[in-house]
Amino acid sequence: MNKLILTTTQKEKVALALIAAVIIFLVAGLVKLQIVDHPQLAAQSENNRIRVVPITPRRGVVYDRENRRLIDNRPSYTVSVVLAEMVPDETLANVAELLGLDTLEIRRRIRKNLVNRYQPTPVKRDAAFEIIAVLEEQSFRFPGVTYQIEQVRRYPENMSSETFTGYVGEVSSEDLGRHSYPELRLGSMIGKKGLERYYDSHLRGQEGTACIEVTATGQILGQYEDRLEVSAVPGADLILTIDLDLQQACSDVLDTFCCGTIVAADPRTGEILAMTSYPSYDANIFSSVIPDSVWQDISSDSSHPLLNRPLKGLYPPGSTVKFVTVGAALEEGLVTASSTLQPCLGGYKFGNRVFHCWRPDGHGWLNAVHSIEQSCNIYMYQLGLKLGVDLLSRYYGHCGFGRATGIDLPGEEVGLNPNSTYYDQRFGPNKWTRALVMNNSIGQGEVLVTVLQLVQFVNGIINDGVVYRPHIVKNIVDANGEETTIAPEVSFRLPFTPSTLDVLCEGLRLVVEGEHGTARSLQTDQYTVGGKTGTAQNPHGENHSWFVGVAPLENPEIVVCALVENAGHGSEVAVPVVGEIIKSYMQKRLDTTDLAAASIGDKD
Amino acid sequence: MLKYSDLDWKLISSALALSLIGVLMIMSAQYHADSEFAQHYYQRQLIWLAIAIVVFAVVVHLPLRLFDVTAYLLYGVMLAALVAVLFVGSTRMGASRWFSFGPINLAPSDLAKLTLVFALARFFAYTKLGAASKRRLALSFMLTVVPMALILKQPDLGTSLVFPVILLALWFWSGLSLLHLFLIISPLVSLLAASHWLAWAVYFVVLLSILFLLRPGMLFGVSAVVTNLASGIVTPFLWNRLAEYQKLRILSFLDPGLDPRGAGYQIIQSKIAIGSGGVLGKGLLEGSQTRLDFLPERHTDFVFSVIGEELGLWGAMIVITLFTYLLYRAIRIAARCRSRFASYVVFGASSIFLLQLLVNVGMTLGVMPVTGLALPFISYGGTSLVLSWTIVALIVSADYHWQEY
Repeated sequence: MNKLILTTTQKEKVALALIAAVIIFLVAGLVKLQIVDHPQLAAQSENNRIRVVPITPRRGVVYDRENRRLIDNRPSYTVSVVLAEMVPDETLANVAELLGLDTLEIRRRIRKNLVNRYQPTPVKRDAAFEIIAVLEEQSFRFPGVTYQIEQVRRYPENMSSETFTGYVGEVSSEDLGRHSYPELRLGSMIGKKGLERYYDSHLRGQEGTACIEVTATGQILGQYEDRLEVSAVPGADLILTIDLDLQQACSDVLDTFCCGTIVAADPRTGEILAMTSYPSYDANIFSSVIPDSVWQDISSDSSHPLLNRPLKGLYPPGSTVKFVTVGAALEEGLVTASSTLQPCLGGYKFGNRVFHCWRPDGHGWLNAVHSIEQSCNIYMYQLGLKLGVDLLSRYYGHCGFGRATGIDLPGEEVGLNPNSTYYDQRFGPNKWTRALVMNNSIGQGEVLVTVLQLVQFVNGIINDGVVYRPHIVKNIVDANGEETTIAPEVSFRLPFTPSTLDVLCEGLRLVVEGEHGTARSLQTDQYTVGGKTGTAQNPHGENHSWFVGVAPLENPEIVVCALVENAGHGSEVAVPVVGEIIKSYMQKRLDTTDLAAASIGDKD
Repeated sequence: MLKYSDLDWKLISSALALSLIGVLMIMSAQYHADSEFAQHYYQRQLIWLAIAIVVFAVVVHLPLRLFDVTAYLLYGVMLAALVAVLFVGSTRMGASRWFSFGPINLAPSDLAKLTLVFALARFFAYTKLGAASKRRLALSFMLTVVPMALILKQPDLGTSLVFPVILLALWFWSGLSLLHLFLIISPLVSLLAASHWLAWAVYFVVLLSILFLLRPGMLFGVSAVVTNLASGIVTPFLWNRLAEYQKLRILSFLDPGLDPRGAGYQIIQSKIAIGSGGVLGKGLLEGSQTRLDFLPERHTDFVFSVIGEELGLWGAMIVITLFTYLLYRAIRIAARCRSRFASYVVFGASSIFLLQLLVNVGMTLGVMPVTGLALPFISYGGTSLVLSWTIVALIVSADYHWQEY
């Protein structure tokens, strides 16, 4: 043991060696940080003190076809929290009280939008001015809480226009993960639905960046001179094909019913003049953070205000598609315009089942034209049986059913156009009867269409068979003022020769003007109207009421299609609805022509 | 009468140089601070430096025998003060560490370090017990653990760490063999090694082979094995008993990225500050990390980060060299002193400097846990500065009277 006891000199050496070890340890640490890791840490130090602040560009303004503002921006206050400056227990509790939210909710929002500790994380968009006043006055109670003035989208109210406007919302982390948006960050606003989403890349513009010097507590010291500011590029403005007056008229007339939709389009170009869905919700609620209760109310409403009926609502078309049946039969040479088939006696026996006409006492002898005029089911059944499931289905397909119209809005449904393959899959091969085609021939059964498809189809009938792709944006005006016009684009041609189209158009005319027409109530001296009624049997309740109208007949400018859910006969409900819209359109047109005539007169 | 020219001026100048660098760095650290009060930290530090030098001048004149004779009395007063501060001390950030006298805050724990050095030095200097005697070890252990426990109660983990280090240093300096020292601290090593069973197993093989080779005696050997086993088994329980923030602190020391907002924040910011300083530094008052408040506690515990950022590797090396020189001279003096009491005081006090240098600088470099130990001479704080200069005075005085028994 004695050999282990050290002399003073030895102890001194041990102690000095220990000191040396400590010093070497520390110097090694210094060298590692200051020489080896220096480049990386120097870069980090830069990033730390220079806060790169996004400059949000003005989102493009949306105008109607007559340059009236439809969607614009209004300034609003956004309350944000800077995590690095928050005082635990104090900030959250106070801000929760101020905003009338609970702290959990605020924490959730912070988590959702957090970019980093030093950047303001929005927790309440569109805060009331009173809240900002309190923040300003009692800032000491809210350490780490700031507010910014942000632009918030403003949508037209009471116009149920969110069918096409959609809305913007905070980009979610899933959005960021799914798409590569290098220009987006959490908390950015992007189009979530409608044209806001479809034209998001145009409307959004380019975010700019400013570099500011900040302290750890977020205190801004000013612009950082060494780095250039990249200015934001405002988003492009859109000029729509929508006519604000017509849109308003559509919205007003639907107001009295539970649920329904109206689409109006210009058959010559495919421009959508109005598009509305009822009931609807106010797109403005999405401009700020929606309270859960409001969201609950909307999403649980049994009348489905969130359903975009013109684009996504799938309905049996009813008699409105009898044009397809008659057209197909004419094209295939199964009948001629004047052919009469077995008379309608109110029912038609096929196998051991009797198929009824809507008119119990029957229509008697009819030719092709009058079968459209009076919407006789018996005539259609016979045509359907002559055509067969697949041929009829092929004509449906060529008329644009069962596929997207390609409108410049996201989320369009394609509907259902059944053929034998479909029935084989559904019922098993040869386990279905030919009688199914009879239902299809009158627009019942499995056939499902969107209102937009039907409008497109009627557009084609009255436009010599040429179908233009429906579209809602007419012009894109970018930040430099450069205009891009969206030209009408031929989508497809109906599979009908001019003579067949003549028969169909004549049918269209007789529905209103004919002696036995189903929409005779629309007759007026001022202009000519055509159309087709429809009553779609609805297995879930009352029949859906359809009407698609055209005016003026000799040179059609507008096609209006209305669907009123569970409202009964087309002639009783949808017809007057469309009549109102056409009246409103024609009245305005007459007024402007009068005005033009008057001004010409002045010149003389 | 004291002959000033015979004082160890080299040692005094290095202490003075460190103190002045400290004032300069405190000024730089808070130069851009928002509050007028913070901006004037360096002025207050200057005043404290003046007071410290006066204290130095007084202490240097006092015979070391005075501390020898009064060592236990001072120790008793210190214990009383440590008890009192728990009850009447002013509480800041959840800890009762200070007596407030108007603007002056006195932390008895700082002075406790010195009185422990005195008490232990006296005990080891006069005890007749053999170096490895269990009574000697136990009594000195008791002397250390009582003030340490009181300081842990405040709570002040950082400062309490200094106490066992003083004890270990003086055990070593008063003749305890390195083997014994190793066996004494082995349960601690065991505690760390036991965080993983494989490390613990390897460590245990090493421990047993050392015991087998050196045969320190039956009782010592067996108790070493038992305590090692015990501490190894107890580790997981101990870990679970730690508060969340304590766990986080230990974990984030191992991996600062784990909690970049909380416990790891200071380490990350400090590493960025020092690393971005590079070899030449960003220049005095130019430290962006420092200036922009990213660095917390930058005038006290993290003052070395400011040095690293603004003065670079050169500045940091100058500081470390000054400390090395100071410690080197102190050890030389301790070895030369004929008075055992004086020798123990010098060595014990030097161990305080070494530990605080290691822990504080190591912490700013991210290689030591954040414990809140000040960097002697440099960190802002009156008590710490006065204590440092008192130690310098004791060392200088021991050197001056080295030939006295």
